[in-house]
Amino acid sequence: MNVREERSVATSLSSDKNFDVVNTSVEKIDGYALVKGKPVFTDDFDVPDSLIVKILRSPHAHAIVKNVDASKALELSGVACVLTYKDVPRIAFTRAGQGYPEPSPYDTFVLDKKVRYVGDAVAIVAAESEEIARKALKLIKVEYDVLDNIIDYEHAMDENAPIIHDESEISGAYDPKHNIASHYEMHFGDVDEELSKCDVTTEKTFYTPNQSHAMMEPHAAISYFDANGRLTIITSTQVPYHVRRIIKRIFGVESRVIKPRIGGGFGGKQAVHVEAYVTAVTLKTGRPARCIYTRKETMTASNTRHAMRFKIRVGADKDANLRVIDMQGLSNTGAYGEHALTTFMVAGSKTLPLYNKVNAVRFMGDIVYTNTESAGAFRGYGAPQGAFALDCALDELAHKLGMDPVEFKLKNSIREGETSPVFKVMGEGREGVEQIVGSCKIEECAIEGAKLFNWHEKRERQRIEGTKAHGYGVAFAMQGSSIPAIDMGGATIKMNDDGTFNLMIGATDLGTGSDTILAQIAAEALHTSVGKFVVYSSDTDVTPFDKGAYASSTTYVSGNATKRAAERMAREILKAASEITGESVEKLHLENGKVISKSGKSLTYSEIQTQLFYTFKQRQLEVTESFVSEVSPPPYMVTFAEIEIDLETGKVDVMSMLNYVDCGTPINPLLARGQVEGASSQGIGMALYEEHIFDKNGRMVTDDFFTYKVPSRDDIKKITVKFADSYEPTGPFGAKSVSEIGLDTPGPVIANAIFDAVGIRVNRLPIKSEDLYFKLNERGLTP
Amino acid sequence: MLSIKEYLRPDTLEEAYDLGKMENTLYVSGGLMIASLKSSRLERLVDLKNLGMEEIEDGKRVKIGANVKLSEFMTNPLLSSLNHGFFKKTMKDVGSTQIRNMATVGGSVAFRLGWSDVITALMASKATVELYEGQLNEVSLERYVKEKRRKEIVTAIYIPKNDRFLAFEKFSKSTFDIAMLNVGVGMNIRDDKMSDVTVVVGSRPMISGRIVEVEKFLNDKELSNSIEAAAQLMRDTIKVGGDVRVKAEYRKVLSAALLKKAMRGIGDES
Amino acid sequence: MKVEFKVNGKMHSVNVEPGEFLLETLRNLGYKSVKHGCDTASCGACSVQLDGKPVLSCRTFTATVNGHEIKTVEGFSKEGELSNIQRALVEEGAVQCGFCIPGLVVTADALLRENPSPTEDEIKGYLNGNLCRCTGYESQTRAILKVAKDSRGEKS
Repeated sequence: MNVREERSVATSLSSDKNFDVVNTSVEKIDGYALVKGKPVFTDDFDVPDSLIVKILRSPHAHAIVKNVDASKALELSGVACVLTYKDVPRIAFTRAGQGYPEPSPYDTFVLDKKVRYVGDAVAIVAAESEEIARKALKLIKVEYDVLDNIIDYEHAMDENAPIIHDESEISGAYDPKHNIASHYEMHFGDVDEELSKCDVTTEKTFYTPNQSHAMMEPHAAISYFDANGRLTIITSTQVPYHVRRIIKRIFGVESRVIKPRIGGGFGGKQAVHVEAYVTAVTLKTGRPARCIYTRKETMTASNTRHAMRFKIRVGADKDANLRVIDMQGLSNTGAYGEHALTTFMVAGSKTLPLYNKVNAVRFMGDIVYTNTESAGAFRGYGAPQGAFALDCALDELAHKLGMDPVEFKLKNSIREGETSPVFKVMGEGREGVEQIVGSCKIEECAIEGAKLFNWHEKRERQRIEGTKAHGYGVAFAMQGSSIPAIDMGGATIKMNDDGTFNLMIGATDLGTGSDTILAQIAAEALHTSVGKFVVYSSDTDVTPFDKGAYASSTTYVSGNATKRAAERMAREILKAASEITGESVEKLHLENGKVISKSGKSLTYSEIQTQLFYTFKQRQLEVTESFVSEVSPPPYMVTFAEIEIDLETGKVDVMSMLNYVDCGTPINPLLARGQVEGASSQGIGMALYEEHIFDKNGRMVTDDFFTYKVPSRDDIKKITVKFADSYEPTGPFGAKSVSEIGLDTPGPVIANAIFDAVGIRVNRLPIKSEDLYFKLNERGLTP
Repeated sequence: MLSIKEYLRPDTLEEAYDLGKMENTLYVSGGLMIASLKSSRLERLVDLKNLGMEEIEDGKRVKIGANVKLSEFMTNPLLSSLNHGFFKKTMKDVGSTQIRNMATVGGSVAFRLGWSDVITALMASKATVELYEGQLNEVSLERYVKEKRRKEIVTAIYIPKNDRFLAFEKFSKSTFDIAMLNVGVGMNIRDDKMSDVTVVVGSRPMISGRIVEVEKFLNDKELSNSIEAAAQLMRDTIKVGGDVRVKAEYRKVLSAALLKKAMRGIGDES
Repeated sequence: MKVEFKVNGKMHSVNVEPGEFLLETLRNLGYKSVKHGCDTASCGACSVQLDGKPVLSCRTFTATVNGHEIKTVEGFSKEGELSNIQRALVEEGAVQCGFCIPGLVVTADALLRENPSPTEDEIKGYLNGNLCRCTGYESQTRAILKVAKDSRGEKS
């Protein structure tokens, strides 16, 4: 196939899918409150009589806490308590907010007698004011027995490496005596044999860095006993139900977890960070406790993206058929094994099926402990790490074959109606599920995207002009939609006599707009408008269970649950209307907030529920539905980028980026576009700006926004998003996920564009101008 | 909150100076730098806002009161037009809108920060500093930044009013970031011939200073054909250090690259 | 120490600690739109207008605002009606988590007063100190361009 041929991809969205509410850009329903600056975030809640909680943190990367002397702090007027490891339950758990049983090892304690990174918690202080709490922190004397540490994860398995997890209670870790939190390997076919048969091969090692979520709202939680003595936790979390379950595991106490608006999460709030500390204080003192992290704590003592190294080997025959992929990885999980196995597996499971025509695949590696901040979930969840290695290696292979990389990647990628053995072999933390790809518009993404980007015309341009070089790159990506056969979402819909509905969902809108798109799905199914829905998320005492916001699952799983609930509510309404009117259900249909009969009669939803409340077969219409998926339909994306390199300094600027996305039906095109633009920007940050620098003692030097540079407004030049005409048969009204995939391509597309510009294959993110300059200089490309 | 005991707002320079002499006391003008201090010994702040020092006076040279905000360089008609609009252009790269609305020119100079863009730009313009230590004195900015911080109060900056062309170049990781290195260049230029050249490099990471060897080399030469040689000389002579952000060797590269950009900028403009 | 200042037209007379920052004072007074995002003057979430000019309330000593006028985003929507900027931000999908939005609104308002017809570059430049981690900025730029266009009577 030649992508240069003038041809268009046939559009397949059948015209019978006429939507009223879905696939329109309705305004975000929480938008009004947010632009008005209403007090909707955790820190905005004033709970009277609250104690201020602060955490004393380790200055050492690896040490035994020999003694904590809090007597001076406790003498300070206004200090309510100082808790050390002796004062909290010694229950091993994982902070990872995953479904139960968690695939992450239980290797963490609320407070431990050992600290494993600079920033690890040593003591919890609660005081009447922030100032007193700060003073108290300074008065606590801790004696440490400092141990050797491991900062560089490539040395975690060295022969004489100190053992980071030697506690007897640890469970679920692969080989903690050798600092291996987890290990994974899979293969089919014989990679060595296939490689030997290939006409062209490439082998390289790629590195992706730690990355901070840098959500604008720091971690925060408030706990208190309500009037009836029920423990209540207001927390900025993506996973309220998992928080409730984990708090119960640690403290043996039942609780109610309320998620207000969340100031961004990106996976960073898919963990129990602050909740355990405030709970410990409330249980100890009986008083409300609030803990709002500083930016420094959010940077150094929460989670980071798993840094990974992949040694990759790929090979193709002379006809450009990709035959084999071999990826051997190493992942840094930091001090604790949160999401260790699963992020590593996703580096394979959400990249390898894209190239399903290969004869052999191997994916294996270790996830190791180090004395650095614990890694955790972060948008993309391993896929950006895997995609950087795989897409760059394929780019190089295309170059060796003398082939346009768009053409090479497209030729070897998966199509609608096909499958990949990887789907079955690799799940998240366990075996996956078989699936036939029901929607895949990667041809449209690549071919139409190339046209829109002027790919072929641009590549005719002189690459080096004066002191600047220009380059053009392409990267292909896939993701998933939910963790199949594991994660469940629920939705409750209650009808009111004023014609409105309460939509109660455990799904966790953390800024993504999920409250809005779930209301759109419900409105579509109930033939009414979004304005008729009062959406409430999430409160474990009120809303039904939902796994939470992660794994690209809210639109797909919670969306399907919402659709089911709305459809059942529709049936309930029709049944009630039939009883009221005496006409059979078959002669009734829903239209614009009314039940209409073939005889021309109509009843509004309001009239129906009013009768059901007061005068006729009295009952409340309310339904709850749940959804677990059997499959995880991948969204697909092809990204094109133009970069400029200043040859005098090595600085790289991304001049423009086009993301052509197949996410099925975008439920809300405007919000979907925002997801892709935002993810691209975070990916550009990961590729060019964001870096954790440590000093020799393992302290993160880049521990604030002054030194850790997320892209600012002037750094982002132009990001364009286009959606393919696609419909996923298993999705709610044809939808797949869209939140994570945008982060998979910026790394490889920028690296590929640099190669295109100057012939240098960058294999490490972030791409530092300093490193690139000296490479340019070696090749005589600096003016 | 800063744990301090007193926030004082004196009305006269003399009073402020006397208060400033107390132990564990600092002056505050815009507040940005002070607010970032983590010193637990700080007890007292002496606010200089009531002292006026907000004048922008035209004359043979331009007097800028120490309390003038950096944003004035972009909006005040006199300041924004100086040296062919140099300061207006340069200040866009300094901090952010909010920071420029808070930071004062006096504070920007008095803290003698190694990475200061403002000092590099002002030094290239051959600015001088007026300060109060019981009496008013004036020193060149170049000399001022080399002196140890005492209890002096910066009261004004003077910028010579002339037709020199000035250029400022900054290299940083992101566009809202401090410089890995910055360069300021100033010169008279007639028929491509340069005179009265100033070349300043800051954020090396040491405090900004003039690079006399390069200045000497450039004086009386033609701009268009001395750029490469000047850059080479810069790279060979500049003293730089490395830090966690950037290695010394790369700072040398940047000093040459930014000098070239600055000189090309002046060449295009003049 | 006692400090008197106006917030959104309303006079406040408060006793503050000498080292107290305006961010803390405003939040204590109930202006919760003013956000604490960083500790290093690096994010812009705490931006408020001081005598019409955007400043960082996290780095402004409350003692210095005596006799001055503060405006926060609570002062922008009159009787529940959104201002043009607020409306455009919602319409363009420029509000994701919303944590940066109050600071953005007060800063963008000052921009459009100083420069009613900004270019895309001028918008990005003026607002460069307002970080947003959610949107990638594109939608926010579109929203502000739209406000400028609308106020000139052009169709966007």
